[in-house]
Amino acid sequence: MRILFTFLVLINFLSITNSFAIIEIDITEGNREPLPIAITNFFYDSEFEDELQKISVDMKDVMAADLERSGLFKPIDKNAFIQKSRSMHIKPRFEDWRLINSQALVTGELQIESDKLRVEFRLWDTFGEKEIEALVLITTIENWRRISHMIADKIYERLTGESGYFDTRILYVSESGPKNKRIKKLAIMDQDTHNHRYLTSGKELVLTPRFNPVKQEITYLSYFKNLPRVYLLDIQTGIQEVVGDFPGMTFAPRFSPDGNKIIMSLAREGNSDLYVMDMNSRVVERLTDSPAIDTSPSYSPDGKKVTFNSDRGGSQQIYVMDSKGRNQTRISRGTGNYATPVWSPRGDLIAFTKNFKGRYYIGVMRTDGSGERLLTENWYQEAPSWSSNGRVLIFYRETAANDKGEGHSSSIWSIDLTGFNERKVNTPEDASDPSWSRLIQ
Amino acid sequence: MIYSVTSSLFLHIIIILIAVVSLPIFSNERLDTPPIIQVELIEISEKTNVPEISKKQKEKTTIEKEIEKKDTKINQPIMKPKEKKSSEKVLDPAEEELLIEKKIEEKMIQNMPLKKPILKKKDKFDPLKIAELIDQAKDTQTVEEIVEDLDYDSIDSTPSLDKKLTLSEEDAIRAQFMQCWSIPLGIPFDDSMIVKIKIFLDTDGSLARPPEVVQHERMNKPSEKYFRTLAESALRAVRRCDPIKVPDITRYDNWKNIQLNFDPREILRG
Repeated sequence: MRILFTFLVLINFLSITNSFAIIEIDITEGNREPLPIAITNFFYDSEFEDELQKISVDMKDVMAADLERSGLFKPIDKNAFIQKSRSMHIKPRFEDWRLINSQALVTGELQIESDKLRVEFRLWDTFGEKEIEALVLITTIENWRRISHMIADKIYERLTGESGYFDTRILYVSESGPKNKRIKKLAIMDQDTHNHRYLTSGKELVLTPRFNPVKQEITYLSYFKNLPRVYLLDIQTGIQEVVGDFPGMTFAPRFSPDGNKIIMSLAREGNSDLYVMDMNSRVVERLTDSPAIDTSPSYSPDGKKVTFNSDRGGSQQIYVMDSKGRNQTRISRGTGNYATPVWSPRGDLIAFTKNFKGRYYIGVMRTDGSGERLLTENWYQEAPSWSSNGRVLIFYRETAANDKGEGHSSSIWSIDLTGFNERKVNTPEDASDPSWSRLIQ
Repeated sequence: MIYSVTSSLFLHIIIILIAVVSLPIFSNERLDTPPIIQVELIEISEKTNVPEISKKQKEKTTIEKEIEKKDTKINQPIMKPKEKKSSEKVLDPAEEELLIEKKIEEKMIQNMPLKKPILKKKDKFDPLKIAELIDQAKDTQTVEEIVEDLDYDSIDSTPSLDKKLTLSEEDAIRAQFMQCWSIPLGIPFDDSMIVKIKIFLDTDGSLARPPEVVQHERMNKPSEKYFRTLAESALRAVRRCDPIKVPDITRYDNWKNIQLNFDPREILRG
């Protein structure tokens, strides 16, 4: 009895103690609306008004457009700003910014020092009432656009937790002319479509351009004497060379993550297999040896695995193998044909094109084939390419021609992993086969 | 005369001794058992804190019926939470619904008049059922131990059995923070991405002092930049929601300190 009594008293005591335990509430959902952010015109001294007035406004517009396009930010209209004095760059009146529901504030100052543009920017947490990022960048005055992208990347990184993708370029095939006599040129532009220029003249047909992840270099497929060949082009010098001298056709080239190898398809007598070439030694190694068509290889970001598509099982499906060609495993399991697999730079997903019942889809799946998600569907679309942070995909889409053969067009589109933020990427002419660069070094 | 009286007395003593030794009514064992059962069960039910349910007799009977339908012992359902001891602090939304159901069930069970069926048995005392009663008494003790374990566990787990807020009050507070929280969707999925923030409220629902990130040491590590971003977004949410609409002020002591667990894992998993 005594023991029992002691036990009860102990329990009673512990229960009383527990009554002081803090209440816990789990917040497992949140507001997925874009984050409201105030981006102000950067201040400058009146002595530089002629040079800097326009740059100040343009920089703000470039940053706001970058952030808005990501779908994660909602820049606030400057007419709503209450505090407009220069003091905001030193110590903002946070309550003024909270009043217009701004969660973050971007301020900055521009100066010209020895003919160089000095940009100082600060990012403020208006609810935390503190500065959370500050940076000074010095560049040539003409380079203000790139500096704006770099600042937008910093803001994006600080507020979302992942690296930005605004200081990047898009390489694509520009198309013009009738469908049976199409002129295809290589073109390059900033990710926001500015600084557009052509890299080839259009005399030869070009296909599947791809960036080197670490150098200002691209690889692509071009027809020379009606034979498709893989080429290398240095963007800065304009020097071009053929990759290897193979007896058959080479196509679908892509760089390894370290930029030292090119993996591609080589077709001979109706059969195509995957090969990899070391760029330094120019030694070629065969990776697959099947009677089927193996193509569209893409490395994982650590370079240890390769995804590709093959029709060895009777229909076009996605496979994964190690970088030496061993352990080839089919990962796509859904109905339909799968093509153009591309490994995410983050390593967690593989993007692909899917053809099912005459419709084309861009989707993603985990690297073991599970968790397939189709992001967008259309009459014809293919060739996804990842942004440097693995959050957004660009691809191209074609519209059908009418009975007279008119109305056909192709254009580049982007979509993020949520599947909701789909946007057209404007180009001067029709566009196909986009490739998105890593952050410019 | 003396002889007959003596022998009568002797024989009576023998008969009494035989009766004491052999008859079950003189057994001490059965007398001790029933009170154990009553005392313990009454104590437990009085300690539970869900008046809305316990006050309504109708609901009680419904609960009894439900439990009878499930054909389970009174003490068994309380065993369920013990299995969750090792589970994660914050559950998936799909599991959360199940958990809420379980919690309601647990509360109902706690508020059940557990002594009732036993008292009935006592009225019709049957020595053959002593063993069964003893078994239940043991189970009852186990219940107490489990409840104790759970209470300890719930300090670090989902809302405890010892509720201070009703589910609807909790939901009302949760909804406010969900609205204020802009999730940094760029953070890669990671199982450890939960930010725990303690908030200290005034009677009007405003922050009495700055919120505290429980895992503040993680915020300063260079390798934890994702966690820092997440924690900052959670802190912004807390400040954005300041002041929050709060439950009944008469129970201020119950909600003046709250720990918010910001858990974006299910969203980030994609």
